[in-house]
Amino acid sequence: MRGLLRGELIKAVTTRAVLGFAVGGAAFAVLNALVIAVASGTLDKVPEKEEALSGLPVLLLLWGLVGAAGEYRHRTAAPAALVARRGRGSVLSARIAAYALTGLALGVLTSAVSVGLALPLLGDQPGPALTAGDVGAVVAGNLVAFVLSAVLGAALGALIRSPVLGVVVMLVVNFAVVPLLSGAWEAGANLTPFGAAGVLSRMTHDTTLSVVAAGWVLAAWTAAVALAAVVVERRRDLA
Amino acid sequence: MTSSRTSAADPAAAIRVEGLTKRYGRRTAVDDLSFTVRPGTVTGFFGPNGAGKTTALKAVVGLARPTAGVAFVRGTPVTALRPDARLLGVHIEPCGAHPGRTGRAHLRSLAALAGLPRRRVSEVLGLVGLEDAAARRVGKYSMGMRQRLGLAAALLGDPEILVLDEPVNGLDPQGIRWLRTLLRERAAQGGTVLLSSHMLGEAARTVDDVVVIDRGRLVHQGAMADLERTGESLEDVFFARTGAAGSGGTGGAGR
Repeated sequence: MRGLLRGELIKAVTTRAVLGFAVGGAAFAVLNALVIAVASGTLDKVPEKEEALSGLPVLLLLWGLVGAAGEYRHRTAAPAALVARRGRGSVLSARIAAYALTGLALGVLTSAVSVGLALPLLGDQPGPALTAGDVGAVVAGNLVAFVLSAVLGAALGALIRSPVLGVVVMLVVNFAVVPLLSGAWEAGANLTPFGAAGVLSRMTHDTTLSVVAAGWVLAAWTAAVALAAVVVERRRDLA
Repeated sequence: MTSSRTSAADPAAAIRVEGLTKRYGRRTAVDDLSFTVRPGTVTGFFGPNGAGKTTALKAVVGLARPTAGVAFVRGTPVTALRPDARLLGVHIEPCGAHPGRTGRAHLRSLAALAGLPRRRVSEVLGLVGLEDAAARRVGKYSMGMRQRLGLAAALLGDPEILVLDEPVNGLDPQGIRWLRTLLRERAAQGGTVLLSSHMLGEAARTVDDVVVIDRGRLVHQGAMADLERTGESLEDVFFARTGAAGSGGTGGAGR
């Protein structure tokens, strides 16, 4: 299994996509810190300040989705399955694990940028300052959201097998469907993967779902979709 | 259908295909196909465009699941076979490399997945003549270079059996000669090759046995030596059995 993971990690980090997502994640962290900490007016509550440290889990979802779906678009899944000495389910599991690890690395980078930039900016805001415990909890929540989102994205990519279709669907759901649902039924929206990731990363606060519960919701979605992807992968033809 | 060899039940066969059928919805790509590939030979797998060659090869290597029938590799149903680059080396077009990845990185990932030592990557890059292009991204490769990369991937595990789909496509004359020599040497050393090709003249110089299919069905299996004895060429047999002479016919079934 280590060989499978190493092979899939090599694939994940040897295209320019990883650089693009690293730059994108860092750029969002900078933008978010500036918008929340500087341009949003007075932040005198801890949850408001925590939002300045939040990342963008959907970016990691896209990272996993584009990478895993690209395996089918570029026909790289078939050569991997032919040499792997394990079943296709194991190969896909290793691929998903590779996206979890690279998602963690991208998450660490994004969180470092967020914390490094946002904390000094938040120093000018009134009200209680963020403690080390607060910061640690936000970073931990973000990292969990990033890793689970990368896994969810890779599993969805393996199911959808078209990067373009997958990206369009995910963006529409994240930026149109979930906000609309949230306006009509906030509790329901929080139970979607996107809603739960928002709570977990602190982009959403003062809502119906606790951070811990959001973690479990996102984990349940991720496990279910990953299981479905592995089952389907074992049964279908590879181009 | 003609056949000069009735080895479908031969337990020593390197590859044995029995009653292989593959349907996509209502379309039948491969229809009750049976043939055998002897160990230590190069077997040519021929048919018009759309005859079902690639689909059949995908079923033989386990990428496509047959609707009916079985493909055996060294006596084991391919569906029960653990993938192993040391047993089966496969190149089915396209080469299966991400255009944004370098040739070396592509092979490194496959070597890691296969549990092969990293030095094999440099060895096969040298073997196919891609050392100088190894650090370039595959998207910048010519068709012939992508073909060589696909062959390098197939050769990574130094496999007992090679299954190659149109391996000479895009190769220059030196490449075609190199490939012919490589395949003949492997067969001489006891290795087995199953290859599809549209270049009948070149294939006739390379193969020992011939399998011809049309519309997904077997229309001829025999030895090249038997053809030569009767004075027929591979081209004669191909056109006679597929009914494609002079029509540019493509057969009806999908690949």
